[in-house]
This record gives sequence, C-alpha cells and structure tokens, in this order.
Amino acid sequence: MPQNEHIELFQKRYGFRMDYQERQRKKKAREHKLQSKMAQKLIGIKGKIFAKKRYSEKVQLKRTIKAHEEKKTRKKDEGKVPEGAMPAYLLDRENTSQAKLLSSMVKQKRKEKAGKWDVPLPKVRAQSEAEVFRVLKTGKSRRKGWKRLVTKVCFVGEGFTRKPPKYERFVRPMALRFKKAHVTHPELKATFCLPIVGVKKNPSSPMYTSLGVITKGTIIEVNVSELGLVTQGGKVVWGKYAQVTNNPENDGCINAILLV
Amino acid sequence: MSLYNFKKIVIVPTAKDFIDIVLSKTQRKTPTVVHKQYKISRIRQFYMRKVKFSQQTFHDKLSTILTDFPKLDDIHPFYADLMNVLYDKDHYKLALGQINIALHLIDNVSKDYVRLLKYGDSLYRCKQLKKAALGRMATIMKRQAQSLQYLEQVRQHLSRLPSIDPNTRTLLICGFPNVGKSSFINKITRADVEVQPYAFTTKSLFVGHTDHRYLRWQVVDTPGILDHPLENRNTIEMQAIAALAHLRAAILYVMDISEQCGHTIEQQVALFESIKPLFANKPLLVVLNKTDVIRLEELKPEQKTLIQGFINDDIPVMEMSTLSEEGVMAVKTEACERLLAHRIEVKIKSKKVEGILNRLHVAVPKPRDGVVRPAFVPENVIKQRLTKEPKPKKKTERDLEVELEDDYSLDLKKNYDLPADFKYDVIPEFWEGKNIADYIDPDIMAKLEELEREEELRIESGVYDKEEEEMDDEEKEIHRLASKIREKKAIIAIESRIGRSGGAPVMPRAGRKRERSVSRLRSEFEELGVDMSNKSGAHFSRTKSRSASRPPIKKARADSTGRVSSSSRVTPRDQSGIRNVELKAKAKKMGHKAQGKMNQFGKAGEADRHIAVKMPRHLYSGKRGIGKTDRR
Repeated sequence: MPQNEHIELFQKRYGFRMDYQERQRKKKAREHKLQSKMAQKLIGIKGKIFAKKRYSEKVQLKRTIKAHEEKKTRKKDEGKVPEGAMPAYLLDRENTSQAKLLSSMVKQKRKEKAGKWDVPLPKVRAQSEAEVFRVLKTGKSRRKGWKRLVTKVCFVGEGFTRKPPKYERFVRPMALRFKKAHVTHPELKATFCLPIVGVKKNPSSPMYTSLGVITKGTIIEVNVSELGLVTQGGKVVWGKYAQVTNNPENDGCINAILLV
Repeated sequence: MSLYNFKKIVIVPTAKDFIDIVLSKTQRKTPTVVHKQYKISRIRQFYMRKVKFSQQTFHDKLSTILTDFPKLDDIHPFYADLMNVLYDKDHYKLALGQINIALHLIDNVSKDYVRLLKYGDSLYRCKQLKKAALGRMATIMKRQAQSLQYLEQVRQHLSRLPSIDPNTRTLLICGFPNVGKSSFINKITRADVEVQPYAFTTKSLFVGHTDHRYLRWQVVDTPGILDHPLENRNTIEMQAIAALAHLRAAILYVMDISEQCGHTIEQQVALFESIKPLFANKPLLVVLNKTDVIRLEELKPEQKTLIQGFINDDIPVMEMSTLSEEGVMAVKTEACERLLAHRIEVKIKSKKVEGILNRLHVAVPKPRDGVVRPAFVPENVIKQRLTKEPKPKKKTERDLEVELEDDYSLDLKKNYDLPADFKYDVIPEFWEGKNIADYIDPDIMAKLEELEREEELRIESGVYDKEEEEMDDEEKEIHRLASKIREKKAIIAIESRIGRSGGAPVMPRAGRKRERSVSRLRSEFEELGVDMSNKSGAHFSRTKSRSASRPPIKKARADSTGRVSSSSRVTPRDQSGIRNVELKAKAKKMGHKAQGKMNQFGKAGEADRHIAVKMPRHLYSGKRGIGKTDRR
C-alpha cells in the first residue's frame, strides 16, 4: 500500500465499524428516494437534462428486464425451412429464371430511356432568387441596387479571381466558399472528407449552376482518388458525382452521398 | 527550479462532464433571450457571442490542464524516471499532445463558424449555425474521452507520491525482498511501513525522516530487487532502480545472513555485484541483518569469505538486528557520518567553496605556557567511576504497575507534602467570588503582619501628610482672577443658551444694533475694574464709518448702553465692497441688466423656471430654414 493511503491503511489495520455493512446497505436502499426527489424538484434546463438522462437509464433498465424475461419463456419451435429449399419432386425442374432475366432487361432499358441519374433525393424544394440572392446597395447614397450577394454556400474553384469590383454583379463572400465536402459511401457506410472539383447541376436553376451555388439536392463532382477505386480496365477513378443531402448554409458544412 | 509539489494539478473531468460544464456555463453566463423581430445585427451578435464564449471556456480549461501537468523535461531526472516507470513516458506525452490538438481544433471551429454567422440572415439560420458550432466542439471533446480518463488517473496517483526531495541528505535502503529493510526504517524513523512475512510487501517508495547531529535526514525505503537483467524487471523493481540511479544518497545494502528471506548469501552477493554500477560515487554500507538468529562468526567459512570480500573492497560491513534492536543506531550513525563526509568532500571540490573558505577562519587560542589544565573532576566522582557502583534504581510507577498487575491504580496524590489527613481532601476553587489559588501561601499571615507594621511606621513618619502650600501675594491674585474668569465664562454660556431658545423672530443683520463698539468695550472693562478713563495710550478709537457720503442723522440712535452715538451704523450691502463712484455705476448697470430679463418673463425670482408658452408662434412659424428665428 502506498505511503499516502491513510484511510485504506487504517481500514486494513483496525477494520470497519460494527454497523458499517448495515449502514451501507441502508444508504443504497434509500437512493431511489433521492432520485424521485430530484425528478420532482428540478426545473428549467437542469430538469430537461436530468429527464433526458433518466429516460435513457430507464430504457436500458427495461431492456435488461426484457432480456431476463426472455430466458424464462419458451418459444414455439416452428419447423423452419431454409430459403431456396425445394421439395424433392421439384428438384430437376428448370425454374423460370429465363423469364425473369428477360423482364429485368426490359426494366433496365426503360430506366436508361428515362434519365441517367437515379439519385437519392429525387425531389428537392426549388430555391427562389429572393432566397439565394440579397440585394446589395451600392453607390454614393446607397441607391443603386443591381448587385447581388449570394447568401448560400458556393464553390468557386481554384484559380478563381473576382471580376473588377465595379463590374461584378454577383458577390460570393469568402466565408461562404467551401472546398471540401463530407461524402458518404452508401454501401460502405463510411464518410470521407473529399475536395470538390466542381458543381455539376443545381436543380433549382442553371444560373445557380454557373455561379457554383450549392444547396440541398445539388449534384457536385468530388475527387475520390483517396478511396483508391479502380475501373475494370485498370484505370484509376479520381472523380465521381455526389448529391448534397443537407442545407450547407445552416450547418456550416457540406454533407453528400456518393452516387455509385 | 523544478516543482516537487504535484498536489496542485487541476482536476481533469471526464469528457461528458467537461462538455456539460462548458455548455451549462455558456447557458448561464450569456444572454438567453432573442426574438426574430430584433435587428439582424443584434441576432447575429447574440449567437456569435455564444459561440465565442464556448470556445473561450474550452480553451481556458484545456490550457490550464496543459500547463499544470509537469513536463518530463523540466523536472528532476529522478521524478522524470519515476513517472516514466509508473505512467509510461510515451503514453503521457501522447495524451497531452491529443489535448493540445483538441485545443487548436476547437479554436479553428469557432473561427469558421463566427465567419459564417456574419452572413446569417435569419434567426433560424443563425441558430442552426450556433448549434452546429457547439455540437462540433462537443464531438471534438467526446473523442478525447480516453486521454482525459488517463490524465485523471495520472493526476490522482501523482498527487499521492511520497514527497522525496532529491537534493537533500538521503539514506537509501535496498536489498532482496524480505531482508528487513522496512523494519529498519520503522526503527529509525516514524514511517509506519507495513512489515509482513511475504515478499514484495513494500510495493512503492516510502519516505521517513530522522535526525542526526541536529540535521534532518531523509530515509527512503525501496521495494525489494530480484536478481535478473534490467529488461525483465517489473514496475515495482524499476521504481527501486530509478531511486538508486538518480538520488545522490548513501546506500545501505541490507543482507539477511540467516537466509530466512528465501535467498542464500551467495545469491545476495551476486545481486550486489550486478547492481554495483549503480553505486558509483555514493557512500556504500553493507548491513548484515537478522543477527539475533545467527551471528557473523557462526557462519560457514565459504560465506565468511564472501563477506570478507566486501571488507577487502573497502566497503564497511556492519551487523544489526531489527528485532532485538542491537546495532541499529550504530548503522544509522555510521551511514550518516559517511554521507556527511562525502557531501563535504564534493562541496570542497566544487567552485563555490573558494568564496566561502576565504571568509572562514577558525581561531585557536595560543597556549600561554606549557602547563596542562585538564577538566576538574572531584575525587569522589573519580572513585565512584572506578568502582563502577551502580546507582540504586528508583522504583518507578511502571515497575509498581507490573508488580501489582490488576490491583494497581494511579494515585497522584500519594506523594503530596501534606499531613496524611489533609492529603486526599477535595479543595474548592472559588470562595466568595475570589480564587482560592490566589491566596495559597503558607506564610500569608506573617506577611500580612509585616505589611501592617510597615504601614504604621509610614503613617507615623508622615509620608501621607498633605502639604499646605504657602502662596505669595501674586499667586493669590492670579488664583482670584482665574476664579472670576471662570465665573464670567459660565454666565456667558448660560446667557447664550437662554438667548437661543424660543422661536422669536430674528432681526436681519442690518437691523441689529451694533454689537461691537468702543462704549461696550469701556463698560465691560470698567465692570472688571480696569481704569478706562485714560485715552492717550489706548489702541482703541472710534471707528470711521466707511460710506462715501454720510447723510445727516436725523434719528436718535442708541446702542447697548443707552448712549446716543453717531457712528453706530452697519454699511448697507450695496455700498460695502465698492471702492469708487465708477465701480458703483457699473455695479448698478449690471444689476439692472440682469433684472431686465426676469421682468420680461414675469419671473417671481431667480429660481422660477416656469415657461408660460412652450411654443410661441412667432418663433415656430415662417419659412426660414437655416438660422434662428428669434431675430427677424
């Protein structure tokens, strides 16, 4: 025992009080009263935090109780048949796989006709110009209102230089320019922080696409060389499309799903 | 200067608690109410403040953690080595590095989101951005949960380390497990180290303090060391090795010659040889313990030669037994002396000594002649010493207790110097409001009589007679006058008190009769008996009145004595203080000018601020834009 542990040393040498165990047991038995008092008395933000904590504790409690109860009951054993098992008299038959193959080919052709992009978010709310642009008053007496300030997140690309300030119509502030996006691979369920190459299409308007405005539902092209994907021919894939899934101006970051 | 007090490190909370603390602090210390109809700049400021405040709080708490934990490069190598053994230097540095990274990440997050908040154009958007910012900071802290937990454990252990000062005089005790190191330290210091029959009872370093030659000595007890190479050593043994390596102390290598510890003497000597490099430059002492079981002479010759080997190497060997306590003090004294000599030697060799030695001079008195003058010892004492008669031992209470066993009871009153029937009396403490202890004195009656006699003598000799002072005429006169003055003063005081009472209206200053006048002076002095008729050498005279033109006085004016005089008149206020006619005219003009405005507005006085017409039409109508309209 280290030199400074006086309490433990005393306990080792002289033991505990005669009623120590009894008192510990009784104290533990009284704990529920304290909890209920707190639950009733706490108000305001503390009350909310306490209620949340207590709720998660109760959920855990209920789960363990249910797990214990499961052991006691007996389940009826249904005669389970594994998938794809066929009775003996059907074994030699040829199934209707061919027909299925044909119908799937038809479906594929239809899809190709409809459109190349089958995206995770097919429909998005269109953004009006009033939402995306804010009028910027310029001029000596702040009378001229032909300039617009972009209020949404945008991407400008490397080597971007502004037009001379006197002539630029759309002002894209530096704070709202993003270069990286958090892209999730839908199958791997892993998220990577990948650099953006460009904005492919903004569903609200082609003007937004040309400006590089990124809103929810925009298709962007990201640099996936980090993932190390390789094509069938052996070439390295370095760019893929992804669709933005959040409102970047509200969250301060761009979250997207990779379109595989 | 390194820090040996590791108890002042701030508590490291768990990740969850950390986040809770900071977020609840943000909620309490920043304004909480904002509405969407406020100006957008106000909304933005509100949310930016919250983000910045959270960042500041995180930053402050993390940086205190980083500064409080000791840097392994800044502390004494003994502590650095000990911490490496106990907590693993790499893990420790990594944990602190992670906290540092988290600090910078949080700062960056805050910067980014404050930049974004500047472009928030609605309450909803600003609120979402603030939520995102605080959420990101919280996730950064959640990832540090492991590091924080580790650092809290390190802090708790560190604050419980024994406070060993690496620079002071230290005795270090080492040897195999179970040889009697902890028993030894228990004997010479007050450190209560556990002593048990199993090996590795002592699992960490223990410190005790002892005194020798009026100096304080530190005694450090180490866990036992086994004989295997350094790589195979476990944490407990490594602590002992760290102490041996870095503390400049006298080493006491304890051996068990009765072999009760489970290791033979050959093994113990082998261990000594293997850790010999650690003993370089340190005074060394080999101590043979448990001599109550077997003495050095009774050992087998092979073992004796091994021990002889030590003596041949100039390493002193001493015997002791911690059970019977023989030789323990001798060992301690020897070790202390050796260490002291060593330290003095080192100090002499260092450069600082030159400066001190030049200033030191030990003066020895020159012998006057060749006569030897030894200490004087009476003959009886010499005889006694030679015969070595033991003094008759007094019977102590303890001996009595041992004799009587159960029948013994402590009786402190049995040796009292009183007659037998008074010895066991109960004495009260107070009597009639006085402490009895104040009056306890065997010859109190004799003292009282003596005092009374002395007092009588004094009274007879006239020490207490009051002297009748003989005053001469001058003094008598002075006394009389003084009493008169006192009387008069009292009368004046009473009169003024009477005069002040009552709500009688007071005449203004100009209307009051003249108080100070020559006639009054005359009358009062004559009352007192002074001769005032002679005017030639007098310093008082009738004052000239100060008014420039004195109109002829038509009324009969009387002053306090009833005499009519022509000079009793107070200068009116509009004439006092004016030197000449021009000034008077100017003053009059100024007065009229000031009065004019007040008259125009019908003011009752200077303090009248009433405005009859707030907006007079003639001032507020008309096409003139620029320029005041009180002039047309």
